[in-house]
Amino acid sequence: MTLSSPVITDSKPEAAPGGDDGGGGAVDRVYGFLRSIPTGFLWLIVVVWSIPTLGLFVNSIRDRDAQRATGWWKVEPGDFTLDNYDQIFAARAGLGRSLLNSAAIAIPATIIPIAIAAFAAYGFAWIDFRGRKGLFIATVSLLAIPLQVALIPALQMFNNGAHFTLPLIDKTITLIPDFDLAGTTTAVWLTHTGFAMPFAIFLLHNYISSLPRDIFEAARIDGADHFTIFWRLVLPLSIPVLAAFAIFQFLWTWNDYLIANTMIGANASEQPTTIVIANLAGDFGRNENILPAGAFVQAFIPLIVFFALQRYFVRGILAGSVKG
Amino acid sequence: MQTLERSDESASEETVSTLRRNVLRRDRTPREYLTLGVGVLVVLGLLVWSFFESKIRTTSVTVVVAVVASGGIWVGANLLFDQVRDNYQRFNAIAYAIIGAVVGVLLHGNLITVGSGEGFLPWVLGPLAGAASFGAIGLALALNDDPQRRLAIGLGGSAAIGLVISLLIRDVYYPGLDAVAIVAYTVVLAAIGGGLSYLRKRPPVGGVLLGAALGWLIGAWGGADLGEGSIATSLVATLPVALLIGTRLGISKNLDYAERLALDTRSRATIFVGPALLFIFGLLVIPAIRTAYLSLLDRDSQEWVGLENYTSVFTDRDSLDLENWTWMFTSVPFLIGIGVLVIALIVGIQMRRTTGYAVEIGNPTMAPLIVGALLVSFGVFTALRGTIINNMWWVVVVTFGSTAMGLAIAVFADQRRGERVAKSIVFMPMAISLVGASIIWRFVYAARDISTEQTGVLNALWVGLGKLSTGSGLPTLIITAVLILILLGLFMMLAYNLTRYGVGRAVVPGVLILLVGWFFIRFIGAFGTVGVGGFKVAPDGEISAQTVNFVQEGPYNNFWLMVIMIWIQTGFAMVILSAAMKAVPTEFIEAAKIDGATDSQIFWRVTLPQIATTIGVVVTTTIVGVMKVYDIVKVMTNGQFGTQVLANNMFQEAFSFTNIGKGAALAMLIFLSVLPIMYSNIRRMQREG
Amino acid sequence: MSKSRWRKLLALLMVFGLIAAACGDDDDEATDASEEAGDDGEGDGDGDGESAAASGDFGGAVVTITGPERTDGDIASINDALNQHFEPLNLTVEYTGDADWEANINTQVEGGNPPDISFFPQPGKLADFARAGSVVELTDGVNAAIDENWAEGYQLDGNVDGVQFGVPAKTDLKSIVWYQPGRFEADGYAVPETLDEFKALVDEMAAAGGAKPLCVGIESGQATGWPFTDWIEDLMLRLHGPEVYDQWISNELPFDSPEVQEAMQTVVDLWTDENVFASGGTISATSFFDNAQPLVDGQCYMHRQANFFAGFFPEGTTFADDSDPDTVSVFYFPDVSGDRPVLTAGTLAAAFNEDPATMAVLEYIATSDYAENRQRILTEFLGGGLSGYLSAAQGQDPSVYQPLEQEFLSILADAEISRFDGSDLMPADVGAGTFWSEGTSLVNGDTDVATAAQRIQESWPS
Repeated sequence: MTLSSPVITDSKPEAAPGGDDGGGGAVDRVYGFLRSIPTGFLWLIVVVWSIPTLGLFVNSIRDRDAQRATGWWKVEPGDFTLDNYDQIFAARAGLGRSLLNSAAIAIPATIIPIAIAAFAAYGFAWIDFRGRKGLFIATVSLLAIPLQVALIPALQMFNNGAHFTLPLIDKTITLIPDFDLAGTTTAVWLTHTGFAMPFAIFLLHNYISSLPRDIFEAARIDGADHFTIFWRLVLPLSIPVLAAFAIFQFLWTWNDYLIANTMIGANASEQPTTIVIANLAGDFGRNENILPAGAFVQAFIPLIVFFALQRYFVRGILAGSVKG
Repeated sequence: MQTLERSDESASEETVSTLRRNVLRRDRTPREYLTLGVGVLVVLGLLVWSFFESKIRTTSVTVVVAVVASGGIWVGANLLFDQVRDNYQRFNAIAYAIIGAVVGVLLHGNLITVGSGEGFLPWVLGPLAGAASFGAIGLALALNDDPQRRLAIGLGGSAAIGLVISLLIRDVYYPGLDAVAIVAYTVVLAAIGGGLSYLRKRPPVGGVLLGAALGWLIGAWGGADLGEGSIATSLVATLPVALLIGTRLGISKNLDYAERLALDTRSRATIFVGPALLFIFGLLVIPAIRTAYLSLLDRDSQEWVGLENYTSVFTDRDSLDLENWTWMFTSVPFLIGIGVLVIALIVGIQMRRTTGYAVEIGNPTMAPLIVGALLVSFGVFTALRGTIINNMWWVVVVTFGSTAMGLAIAVFADQRRGERVAKSIVFMPMAISLVGASIIWRFVYAARDISTEQTGVLNALWVGLGKLSTGSGLPTLIITAVLILILLGLFMMLAYNLTRYGVGRAVVPGVLILLVGWFFIRFIGAFGTVGVGGFKVAPDGEISAQTVNFVQEGPYNNFWLMVIMIWIQTGFAMVILSAAMKAVPTEFIEAAKIDGATDSQIFWRVTLPQIATTIGVVVTTTIVGVMKVYDIVKVMTNGQFGTQVLANNMFQEAFSFTNIGKGAALAMLIFLSVLPIMYSNIRRMQREG
Repeated sequence: MSKSRWRKLLALLMVFGLIAAACGDDDDEATDASEEAGDDGEGDGDGDGESAAASGDFGGAVVTITGPERTDGDIASINDALNQHFEPLNLTVEYTGDADWEANINTQVEGGNPPDISFFPQPGKLADFARAGSVVELTDGVNAAIDENWAEGYQLDGNVDGVQFGVPAKTDLKSIVWYQPGRFEADGYAVPETLDEFKALVDEMAAAGGAKPLCVGIESGQATGWPFTDWIEDLMLRLHGPEVYDQWISNELPFDSPEVQEAMQTVVDLWTDENVFASGGTISATSFFDNAQPLVDGQCYMHRQANFFAGFFPEGTTFADDSDPDTVSVFYFPDVSGDRPVLTAGTLAAAFNEDPATMAVLEYIATSDYAENRQRILTEFLGGGLSGYLSAAQGQDPSVYQPLEQEFLSILADAEISRFDGSDLMPADVGAGTFWSEGTSLVNGDTDVATAAQRIQESWPS
């Protein structure tokens, strides 16, 4: 796309503030009001978006009978109770331990895929090798695989390793030894790492491939090799997208139920918070009243992560430096 | 990104050095020091804690060892191949030494050779010896270009190593030989090796030699009963392998500079892309192939049934029900949609006359076109029913809804006061797990008997609106007045825009007037309408409240489930698009501003094209995510009340009903139906990028 | 981490490095090395130390159990009841309640990572696993314990083709109707003795125009529809007897046969707007547990639901306490011919390995001692009231049960015929699929009885 030509093609008169035709003061004021609609719209969305969460929060500090009897907006100060939270933190299933387990899953499952995917994205974007495009499309296409289908094979692999029986001499060669990983948090984050790859590569490649070619060429002329370019240029320049991906990957892995549930199985001591809280609800929804509180406990750490990483979305990491 | 090249042609070394200075050598602000300090404290705290908590200890040790070891290997490999171009001898020696060390580890670490054992010194002995001997051969080969000398070095070195290894093997490992296996493996693998070399357009001898060596190794050692042989069989099993490899090395040539450059690139490709492919292969490719195979078998994976699982999906009435397709022509959204499309047509003709383009990004034709198309699609999707139709509906609504919302918020919030607060709140749903989200929305959608209080926000509002609009109290009057004011304002805006800017700018207020006016007429009960909201009129004319059962009343219950997904997914779109917008170079925007462009022009003409590929990423990811969505449906309805989607159907069949064949077929359908979208999107993005 | 695992990890990393190098290098011999590396994964025995323990010491063995019960009280009572018994024997039991048990147990078995023992709420699934060889036959010791503690009818639920695989671990009584005796008395209604009397009572209450006769709700999240299937099963037992019931659940009697349609029609006729109060507006939108509040609030008179429904009443509700006029009690869901059939449900424990420790745990679960302990611990945990747990094991000390729970037990003991919940015996495609969904459609009035029955029949896997 070219920048210069189409920007101002349709040359409509601009409504300069304070207008050149003096007559329409009131009209201009109304118009000015209407022009602020986007901001109003933004805050309207914000309010609408927060209502469900607000309701959840209010309900999390009301007891079961109150939750069922009246809407949350009719809450009275006297209704507040921390019983639901007490119940969660006192749970036999061990919320503290489960939070540790969640961290033991989510942290490696965030950092490791970022590293590996950044390598691959750089490789696909800036290293010229045969079959690059085809391989890239094939990789990203795997995004479409419903991960449920991969759960059982992955579990089998973590359970038994991977073996290959040689024909004729009937000897089994172990391709991946059995590390006895089934039922551990390690199995969970390894699985997350694999499943995250297509999206991570897709997202990072989109960003890394759009970095200006000049930078790379200049660096190559300087004699920098791929490793140096990647390490010294690409990584620092990709901070916003890395932060974005880190946020999502952390949230997905922190909030994941399915993979953890499959890989951990019956091993209660390795269960992350999602499983513990879902199980707390009781069969037939017997303890549904503590779910709002559970959801808040669950969401607390992801929100901190989001706030912490949000500051990396800063305008012009790249632009400012090119200009300078 | 050609724009950038053009806009700054002098981008060169200067750019890069500035970049480095700006990005890497920034002065640290006090805040960063604070962050750093907090980080250090957290790490220290964790260390102390891990002293008491074994879980943290084992996890962090596992992770650190895994990261450091694989990171070390990765960086090491990079450093190694850094040598290829200019220090070929060094590279060759190190590469051979590493291979030797690995052979040493394998032999010695597994207690196969004499002298191995527990303890540090015995453990490192084998690897060191391997590294030294192999490294020497590598160096010698790199230093010599004469073919005969090379052959001599290869053969001699490998013979010596082979001899030493076979003599050092402990007697419990002496293999009892199986001549048939040796011959068969050697011949077969030699043929394969030769074939591969031929396919790679190389002289086949090398491949044959390597294949034969591998075959001999597997045949002699793999087929053997260990411990039954003697030192002689050990020699027979080892020496030929070594000699074959030695010959292969001996007949090869040292790489010239061009070949070394090629090797450099090729090795980098492997080093950078390889680790990802390894994970992808193990966790996605193999399972995918397995699923494709299972989808052709019956429910217990016992018998071959061909495509029966697939045909059963399409012939099932629950999957695809086109019986009532004529309903679409009478459905309200369809008719309104057609009406809006007509407006779009008129506006389009008008625009064509003034600007030469009927439809253009950001011109007034776009809004009615999109709204009309959406409404028509609603008409179609509510008339045609079934799992497959539901999936299409989900894709259209959620993809459009969340991307548009995310984009709108990213734009409106950009550099405004409260940006962080607004974005954080919109992002919040992403942080709530799906269990949490479903609980929330159960509360939002809850309907109670009209004799009791409503506990769901939506029903409370809906019933309240019904009461207001059918009532006649003060609140009703106030709302009527407010509506009148809004309508007046809109008419003013319409008139202002019509007189000043022509038809184009009048479209949005015009459509708004239609909507608000319709609501106003319904609300005051003019023209034979009764009111708007949750109420019903009994035959005797008595008006009573009525709730909407959002989750169960089809077909729009589908839409209410999609709302949940939009609620969650908008945060995703917003964050990605916002990050992309922040990366749009400021001077583009400043340049446009200097040229006098309005905010909306800057957005449509500058920002949007810049982030087009990112929008592609968001759309593609959302489509894929929507096709795979199962949690929401599972928790809210489990596919009942006509809300089934493919992914939940798959989960049910595969995991609850243990109908593995059909589950696999559904999974393949999801995969195959997304594939064309993915492919075209990626190709388009690549072309644009 | 054991030392051998470290070694394996190191070897594997080496292999990775090698492969990376190999792929980059022109041609080399790295591949054979990687295969040799594999060899060291073999032969490392699993040193978990679950050695046989004839001497009564299991050497620190750990037995994992999963099951669908997962409230805090359930987890605490199962874990404590078992561990109190096995602690002296140096054996630890870890019970995990699983919110998604039905799907997870399949995954775990297929992935090769099942627990040692699982509680099956569905004998049908247990039978599938037994026939596929996933669960193991019980040892003689366990069988002896079952014979000693359980009546034959309950044993049969865990019996697959003549071999015992399941240990009864919990009993739910479904054929009961919750009501407030005080209100019945005040309004002049009597507890019905036959099904016809029940229907007549419903009509009478509806005609009186006060509170509705019945509270019904079949919403239960992803399992919406199951209370409907319970009604059908209870009516099948009452209208057509146990033999027809057995034919029905094995599909010898097709789902669209007149007998089944009659039962479905009976339910549809009973669940009219005049007869039913549904707090969510419609029956299918009302959560079944939301019916406790209206019952005590006097918006309806009766609610047919299993014994575990006790847990959903608001705090302060008393059960079968004659001194409280608002007390809640149950009566037996009346029958037709006086043969007093009951519909039951419950869990069966089955093992995925033959380990002595596993079998020892199963043997204990079979005893009345376990049932008693679990009930006692659960009641203590909940601070009194009804526990929601019930076991039909013989020889329990009745004093661990509350008066109303003792009544449940006496209904169970009086029953000449008892049948397990039919939808749990049918294939999941039906029992947890179309039976629920078509039932819901029927209740919503979206289909008629004949169509619903026919569609369910069509979905029966051949």
